[in-house]
Amino acid sequence: MGTATGIIRALNSGIKHIALKRFTLRYPEEKLKFVGDGYQFDPSTGVGIAGLKGRHMLFHDHCTGCQLCSIACEGVAEAIGMVKVPEEWKQNKKSIMPQIDYGKCVFCGLCVDACPFYALYMTNDYELSSFSKEGLIYTPAQLAVKPEVAQDSEIQISNRGATHG
Amino acid sequence: MSSPTLPPGLAIQKADERIMTLNVGPQHPGSGHMRIIVQIDGDYIVACDPDPGYVHRGEEKMAEYRNYTLNVPHLERPVIHDSCNILYPYVLAAEELLGLEIPERAKYIRVIASELNRCIYTQYWLAIYGIFLGHSTMFMWPAGDRELLIDLMEKMTGARVTHSYFIPGGIRNDLPANFEDVCLRQVNYFEKRIKEYADVFYNNPILISRTENTGVLTRENAIKLGTTGSVLRASGVDYDVRKKEPYDVYDELDFETNVMKSGDSYARSRIPWLDMMESCRIIRDALQKMPKSGSVRVKLKPNPKGEIGSVYKRIESGRGALGCYIVSDKKVEPYRVKLSVPSFRNLIALPHLLIGEKLGNMPSVYWSLNYWPVEADR
Repeated sequence: MGTATGIIRALNSGIKHIALKRFTLRYPEEKLKFVGDGYQFDPSTGVGIAGLKGRHMLFHDHCTGCQLCSIACEGVAEAIGMVKVPEEWKQNKKSIMPQIDYGKCVFCGLCVDACPFYALYMTNDYELSSFSKEGLIYTPAQLAVKPEVAQDSEIQISNRGATHG
Repeated sequence: MSSPTLPPGLAIQKADERIMTLNVGPQHPGSGHMRIIVQIDGDYIVACDPDPGYVHRGEEKMAEYRNYTLNVPHLERPVIHDSCNILYPYVLAAEELLGLEIPERAKYIRVIASELNRCIYTQYWLAIYGIFLGHSTMFMWPAGDRELLIDLMEKMTGARVTHSYFIPGGIRNDLPANFEDVCLRQVNYFEKRIKEYADVFYNNPILISRTENTGVLTRENAIKLGTTGSVLRASGVDYDVRKKEPYDVYDELDFETNVMKSGDSYARSRIPWLDMMESCRIIRDALQKMPKSGSVRVKLKPNPKGEIGSVYKRIESGRGALGCYIVSDKKVEPYRVKLSVPSFRNLIALPHLLIGEKLGNMPSVYWSLNYWPVEADR
């Protein structure tokens, strides 16, 4: 193949793609779609349930204050600290629950694997930025709120290319 | 009194009017997180001294203070784009020490995750290779098409990079519902897309004139210097750990290895691209042969203790043979974890390749080595 033919072919291949669709997600207006409700773990079988590893969700009525999540996080990111909660729960005699610092969390989900009481799950919420360091620390009360996450874009493949439709 | 020892490149050298010493990096974007000290005579390189170590994190020492499960998140940090593959030898070795038998379905899913990760890494590397040769289309295309596979990994593992998916005992979670169909559709489209790179990049006369016959590594030298992976296969040695020492289920899958004879920068840049097509083939084959249901993870006792002894396992990563050596003394933590990384082995070839080349050819030779600085420093 001659040099001129090769260059023309390369240009031609590039020009053909002008008309094709692209992977551009207009992020704040449209957001990615995820499978499931976030990463969860079933201690009875020892296997997790697929989902995005985003912000945690804490179920106050299950948490016993056993600190297993905090112990697991000591070897990873030291993001979980146990704090006193004002309410009294029957199963939680010491009234302590995890507080998570998202400035340190690496979203590995090993704390979810460590919880034997179905108390800690992960959710699809990934927009956690804050103007201050203190804003990244989520108290047990904040973790109990189920986040509302908009999900509208999925990869669509057609003859005119793949795109976030 | 002897003069104090200075790091290389800072020592005052005898002035030579012809030879100039040039520091490429560590802040130069064309070098990655490392420094290459080159000495040039006019436009030609006469000596080269790669100086890695700027992103050393002590991963191996950290691994001695954590138990077998908690080692997973930090051990994948050296190569976040290839995080399944860097965990693979560690997980295989830890499983042998802990005496675990892995379910069949988990083995297949691991192979799929590992091959997807190989493609993700190679696309990222290809984007960098393209932009440093001044080919900005080859930066945009791989970076965009990588999204197809990142999306699959996100559905599978819950994270776009740093998946923490492999764990001693199997994998963290089973595939989501309907994953096989989505995976097949996106991998097929991905394969169609990477075939289009041929016209715009690999058969492009401008690329060929810049990379052909630059930085030639002969077959003998490639073996002597101990290079691995795409660098070794580009020099004509048919060596792939997936074929030679099959781990998990690679012996049941249908694929071939790609070998080129010339050993120049062009061959080294082409081999990973051909490997991606083989990866697509492996993924399709594994999806077909995979058991449709079953367990994916062995239930571990909390804080398991490894048997006394040592295990060395290695796998084929996106860059070459990646090994992990674990010594256990029947404690909760491993006594020693050693990662034997392909990036460092391939870097050794750099001084041999650059001598006699023009300075302008340095990016094409350096990046064709499939080198990832953070992995070499670990």
